[in-house]
Amino acid sequence: MTQGTLDLQGVGKRYSVSGASFTALQGIDLSIPAGEFLSIVGASGCGKSTLLRLIVGLERQHDGAILLDGRALDGPGLDRAIVFQEHRLFPWLTAAENVALGLLTSKRSAADKRRLVRDHLDLVGLSAFADAYPSQLSGGMAQRVAIARALVNRPRILLLDEPFGALDALTRTHLQGELQRIVRAEGITAILVTHDVEEALFLGDRVVVMHPRPGRIASIIPAARLPLGADGAHDRADPTFVRLREEVLAQLAPADAAPRAASLAA
Amino acid sequence: MTNLDLGRAAFHSAVARDPSAAVGPRRWPPRLAAVAERLRGGVTAAAAVPLAFPTLLLGLWILSARLGWLPAQILPDPALVAATVAEFVETGDLWFHTGVSLLRVIEGFALGAALGLGLGVAMGLSDRARWIIEPSFTAIAQVPPLGWIPLLMLLVGIDEALKVLIIAKAALIPVALNTHKGIRNVPAAWREVGAALTFGPWLTLTRIVLPASVPTVFTGIRNGLTNAWLALVAVELLASSEGLGYLMVWGRQLFQLDLVILAMIVVGLVGFALDWSLGRVERRLQRWELAGS
Amino acid sequence: MSAAALAPAAPDRDAPPSAATRRAYGLLPALALLIAWEASSRFALVDPKILPSLAAVLQRAVTELSEGRLLGDIGASLARDLVGFALGSALGVPLGLALGLSRTLDRVIGPTFNAVKQIAIFAWIPLLSVWFGVGEEAKIAFIALAAFTPAVVNAWNGARAVPPKLAEVAEVLTLNRWRRLVTLTLPAALPSIFIGLHLGLIQSWLATVGAEYFMTVGPGIGGLMTEGREHFHMDLVFLGVLLLGLIGLALNLAATRLEARALRWRSR
Repeated sequence: MTQGTLDLQGVGKRYSVSGASFTALQGIDLSIPAGEFLSIVGASGCGKSTLLRLIVGLERQHDGAILLDGRALDGPGLDRAIVFQEHRLFPWLTAAENVALGLLTSKRSAADKRRLVRDHLDLVGLSAFADAYPSQLSGGMAQRVAIARALVNRPRILLLDEPFGALDALTRTHLQGELQRIVRAEGITAILVTHDVEEALFLGDRVVVMHPRPGRIASIIPAARLPLGADGAHDRADPTFVRLREEVLAQLAPADAAPRAASLAA
Repeated sequence: MTNLDLGRAAFHSAVARDPSAAVGPRRWPPRLAAVAERLRGGVTAAAAVPLAFPTLLLGLWILSARLGWLPAQILPDPALVAATVAEFVETGDLWFHTGVSLLRVIEGFALGAALGLGLGVAMGLSDRARWIIEPSFTAIAQVPPLGWIPLLMLLVGIDEALKVLIIAKAALIPVALNTHKGIRNVPAAWREVGAALTFGPWLTLTRIVLPASVPTVFTGIRNGLTNAWLALVAVELLASSEGLGYLMVWGRQLFQLDLVILAMIVVGLVGFALDWSLGRVERRLQRWELAGS
Repeated sequence: MSAAALAPAAPDRDAPPSAATRRAYGLLPALALLIAWEASSRFALVDPKILPSLAAVLQRAVTELSEGRLLGDIGASLARDLVGFALGSALGVPLGLALGLSRTLDRVIGPTFNAVKQIAIFAWIPLLSVWFGVGEEAKIAFIALAAFTPAVVNAWNGARAVPPKLAEVAEVLTLNRWRRLVTLTLPAALPSIFIGLHLGLIQSWLATVGAEYFMTVGPGIGGLMTEGREHFHMDLVFLGVLLLGLIGLALNLAATRLEARALRWRSR
C-alpha cells in the first residue's frame, strides 16, 4: 500500500491569550495523497505554521482529525520530519553528528546508521563538510544539513516551515531546485509552508492559499493549472505561471487598508 | 504590490533576523586583532612594553629601600623578600603551606560546586523545585560568606570543617546561579528539535539541555573557584595554624613584611593558575564555538 | 485550552499555577526551618546557648534597638561601606576609561594591573593593616580596594568595546577626539561601567564585613557579631547574620534600580 497519505478533516486550533480566546485555524479540510508536494502560501498570521506544528505533533490539542495513512496522530513520530526556518543545528555538533541526531531514537543497527548519515550528507552534497561545525557553514549549507537531518529517518512526510526564509535570494533559488530534486528522488510526501508566492508555485504540485483571522483555506490551485517546463519542473518564465502568480498575490492582499503592512510584517 | 516587492521584503526581513545572512567580511575579535597587531610590531618590543612598568616600580622600590625613604617595617628591601622566597623554597615550607591551602580550597570547592550543580539543575529543570528553592537560596546568597563565620564557629568550631564549609558556600552560589540560568536559557527552538525527533526526557537532557548550557555553567564554575580562593584566604587569616593565610598573619605579627609579601605573591600566582587551568578546560569544551572564527 | 499552549516548550497540559501558589512553595523551606528551630529550642533538643529561640533573637533586636547601639553599628558599617565604595569607584572608573582609550597606557600598565588583580582581596589585609594601622583608614582603604578592581576592569572593557559599526559612523561624521568621547565612547561604555559599579558595591559590602572582622576596632555589625561570639551570645550572632543579609539585599536592589534607571534607553 502507498505510505504517506495525510488527511485533515475539519482541523481547527484555538489559543487563549490572557483569558481571551483566539482562533488560529478553522475548518481545514485537506487530503494529501502519498508522494505529493503541497505548497501552502499565506500572509503571516494565517495559521500556516500552526498547521505544520499540529501535523508534526509539537502541538497536540486541536479540533477535527489528522490522519496519517488512516491512523490518528498522537504527538511527534519518526514518520514525520520537519525543517524549520532557522536551521536549528546544534552548534556543538559537527554536520555529521547533527544528521546522526535524527537517528538517536531509531532502532537501526550502528552500521546502518553510519551508512544513512553518509548517504544523506551525500544527498545534500555536503560529504566534504561532514566534520565541519555549524559556525563554519554558510546559511545555505546549514539549511541543507537540516534537510539531511530531517530525511535521515526516511520519514513518510517531510514538513518544511519557510525553510529558505532566512537565506539570500540567490541561495534560495538554488536550494529550491535542490529541494525539488531531493524530494523527487526520495519519493516522499512534502508540505511546504511559505509566504513567497513564487516559491509556492514553483515547488508545489498543488498550492493552497490561506487567509488569516481565522486561519482558513481561501482556495486551492490544482496541479492542472501549473505549467510544466521541459525538465518536468514548473516554468517560472511561462506567461501562465506569471499570471497565476499575480492572481495569488491579489488573493493575498488584504481587503482592508494598509496592504503593505501585512506583507512587510512577515 | 509586485512580486519583486514581496521578495525584497522577505529578503530584508531575513537579513534583519539573521545577521550572518548579510554578506560582509568577518571581523576579528578585538583581542585577536590586538595580538595580531602586536606581532606585526615586532616580538621584542611587544614583550618589553608590559615589562617596563613593573621594572620601574621595582627600581623605585629598591631605591627607596637603599636610600631609607621608608622604614623596613613599612616596605622591606626587595633583596630581603627574595632571600625569604629562596629560604622558603629550600626548606620546603612554601610547598607545605601552599599545599595545605590548595587542599582546603579543593575540598571546599568540590563540595560547593557539587551541591551548586545539583541545586542549579533542579531549579533549571523543575518549576516546582525552583519555587521551593529560589527564595531561600536568594536569601542565603545575600549574606556574604564571611558573615556566616561567627555563626558557623559556634556551630562547628574553628577547625577544618569551618573552613571547608565557608569555602563551599562561596563556590556554591555562582555555580548554582549559572547552572540554573544556563538550563533556563536553552532556546525553546532547540528543545522543539528534540521533540520533533521523538526524544524522551533523558535524551533531551543529555543531548540538548546539558550541552547547550555548558558555557554558562562553566562560567559559574570558574567564578565559583575564584570565590573559593577568595574565601580561603579570608578563613585562613581568621583562624588557622598552617596555610598561606596563616603565613601572612604570622608575618604581620612578627613585623616580617617580607613574609607577608611572599604569601601575597603566592596567593596571586595560585589564583591565576587555578583560573588559567579552568580557562583551558573551558576552551577545550567549546571547540565548536571557536571553530567559526 | 490553557495559556501554556502558546509557550511551545511547555507541554499543553501543564497549566502554570498562580503567583500565590508559587510564593507559597517558596515559603516552605523557611517554614520548615522555623518549625525545626522553634521545636528544638522549645523542647530543648539543642543547647539554647548554641541555638537561641526565635523569640530571643527578636527580643535582642528590640533591646539593642532601644539602647540605640544597634542603629549606631548599622550606621557605622554602612558609612564605612559607602565611603570606601565611593573612593574606590572614583579612582577606578577614570583609570579604567584611560586604559580603554589609550593604547599606550593599556600596554604599559594593563599587564601589571592584571597581574596584581590576581591577588585575592583579603590577602591585602595584613599589608594594609601594617601601613594604615587597624583604624578607620585601613578599613576604608581596604573597602576602596575591593570596589576599585571591578570598577577598573569593567570601565576598561566598556571603553574598549565600542561597536565597530558605531565607530565607523563617528569616523564618517569626522568627529574629533573629544566629541567622539562624549557622544560615542562614554555612552557605549556606560552599561559596562554600571556593571562594574554594581559588582563593586557587592564586593565592598563583602570587604566591609571582612574589614570589621580583621581590624577589630570601632563599632559595626562585624564587631557586634565578634562580640556576640566571644561572649557566647548566639542571639547577637543570629541578629548579625540577619542584618548582613538584609543590608546586602537592600544595596543590591538599590543598585539594580539605579542601573535600570540610568540605562533606560537600552530598554528592550
